[in-house]
Amino acid sequence: MPRYTARERRERYLREYDFQKRTGKQFFPYAIYHDAIMSVIVVGVIIAMAVFWRMDFGAVPTDASAAREGGLLGPAYESRADPAIEGYDPKPEWYFFFLFELLKIFKTPELLIVGSVIIPTLMMMALIALPFIDRRPERRVSRRPVAMAVGVAVPIVLLALTWRGDQGAGIAGEASNRPGATAFAQTLGCGTCHKLADAGTAGNVGPVLDDALPDYAEAVQVITNGRGAMPAFEDIGEDQINCIAGYVATWSGGEGETPGPNAASAEQAYPAACEAAGGEYAGEAGASAAGVPSRGGSAQAAG
Amino acid sequence: MPPLNLPPVKEVAKIPGDWVEERSGLVSVSKYFLFRNVPRDISWLQTLGSALITVFIVQVTTGILLAMYYKPSTEEAFDSIRYITDEATLGWLVRGMHKWGSSVMVILLFLHMGRTFLFGAYKYPRELTWISGALIFILVMAMSFTGYLLVFDQRAYWATVVGVNINGTAPILGPFLSEFLKVGPEFTTETLTRFYALHMLVLPAAITGLIVLHNWLVVRLGVTSPPWSKHRATKGDV
Ligand code: HEC
Ligand code: HEM
Repeated sequence: MPRYTARERRERYLREYDFQKRTGKQFFPYAIYHDAIMSVIVVGVIIAMAVFWRMDFGAVPTDASAAREGGLLGPAYESRADPAIEGYDPKPEWYFFFLFELLKIFKTPELLIVGSVIIPTLMMMALIALPFIDRRPERRVSRRPVAMAVGVAVPIVLLALTWRGDQGAGIAGEASNRPGATAFAQTLGCGTCHKLADAGTAGNVGPVLDDALPDYAEAVQVITNGRGAMPAFEDIGEDQINCIAGYVATWSGGEGETPGPNAASAEQAYPAACEAAGGEYAGEAGASAAGVPSRGGSAQAAG
Repeated sequence: MPPLNLPPVKEVAKIPGDWVEERSGLVSVSKYFLFRNVPRDISWLQTLGSALITVFIVQVTTGILLAMYYKPSTEEAFDSIRYITDEATLGWLVRGMHKWGSSVMVILLFLHMGRTFLFGAYKYPRELTWISGALIFILVMAMSFTGYLLVFDQRAYWATVVGVNINGTAPILGPFLSEFLKVGPEFTTETLTRFYALHMLVLPAAITGLIVLHNWLVVRLGVTSPPWSKHRATKGDV
């Protein structure tokens, strides 16, 4: 419509809308009648979901910290929050899955900020600024090809990310019975976020440890203090931290019975710290002896 | 005794209304609201916004009921949730409606946004209506984030730890924001009370204000008719 100036177009719209209103119908009772029906349906759906949720509840647990199981719509509650971590699943509400999935796509430390901050901020800014980005006056669907393409693509991407975010981390295999492996894969839930072949985990939130190959000092540092999206695990205790760090430093990049390239850095602590930590950290009795690599050679190389 | 000179019943019934009207003008405002015209071919697609008002009222009501039993401290939060779910009369219903109401609200938000996008309703003169809506959307997401922690079970706790850490990765503001949310480097009872205050006071108040603004604009400007409407005064795109 090059014939009209912007101001003429605005006036034209106002005149047109004035006609729509003059020849329209009253809000009460015509529009409000539809509104009322819709609201009744929506409240009905909410009540129905609460009831279906309730119908699948398991028995009230006798243990005051245990979860109360549920069915399709999920448990009534999971077990009591425990900062010292036992079996842990950092899953957000479903409508945050797409953000969570972005983190998995940009998971290297340099790119993390792209998924965690830059893209969400740009999305929010685009949402708010839309009236200024698309300033053409056309309203007909057929005359807004770009807007319609964006309007179809964005929901598809969001739905795809949400769907992928709903898929569990997946288990790559079984944890070995080396000291620290069970704690890594199960007790502490490191495997929800990290892939580590020896522990049989395939988490995809954090870096693949078989590629990152952290050494002992770095692992202790990261596990104690957290970094980026990774939570700090300082509450689990010093021996426990040293054991897990030793396990990670020794076995990331390891194959079969051969430990990974940074094994020597953990020499002092691993597996002694695991024995001191005991429990799930110790590895299987007997198996632990077999699982400990003989590293005389590498120690000399390191010294 | 002089005869009682009462006006007819119909007139008497009007007295309170006239009294209010004379002092506030509220009656004519309501009349304007109810008897204003809307374009003749609006349909079910335009009911999503009012459904959102309804869901918001459901959330506020169930939220107030929950607040009467909820205890925002790390020691008691989980036990109060257990009490509400397992023992309190119809507690499961109140909690269930609040929990599922939040999901329904997010879905309706997306649908309502989609419909206003499709209709080009964000264009002149309704830019501010869209912007106020977008702000509501962001605040509703913040409601979900702060509400999720309150159950204080394993999943809630750890998802929030990770979420706060993610905030912390932002440059400059990030560490400040995550320290603000956590009240220091650790998750403590103060963290929980801070989330609780945001969730039940600050954010709902802000959202309420924005909903009022949003709908004042909607009433003032009128809702758009579908862009494919045949009922037009002028030809061509306007
Ligand atoms: C919530 C997901 C999550 C969990 C759970 C998690 N991590 Fe991490 N981890 C990460 C992320 C993300 C990074 C990358 C941090 C960065 O550099 O920005 C990371 C980094 C690391 C690193 C450093 C890797 C490198 O690049 O050198 C090590 C080592 C590590 N994690 C070990 C562990 C161990 C051991 C556990 C269990 C006690 C664990 N992680 C649990 C997300 C997680
Ligand atoms: C709690 C949240 C919200 C409430 C209660 C709400 C309420 C309403 C109501 C009642 C209407 C009248 C027409 C209709 O029902 O479709 C409306 C219109 C509108 N809304 Fe919302 N809304 C909300 C969120 C949003 C969001 C997130 C956006 C977009 C970012 C948005 C953008 C608009 C626009 C542009 C209109 C004008 C539509 C037209 O004139 O055709 N709203 N809103």
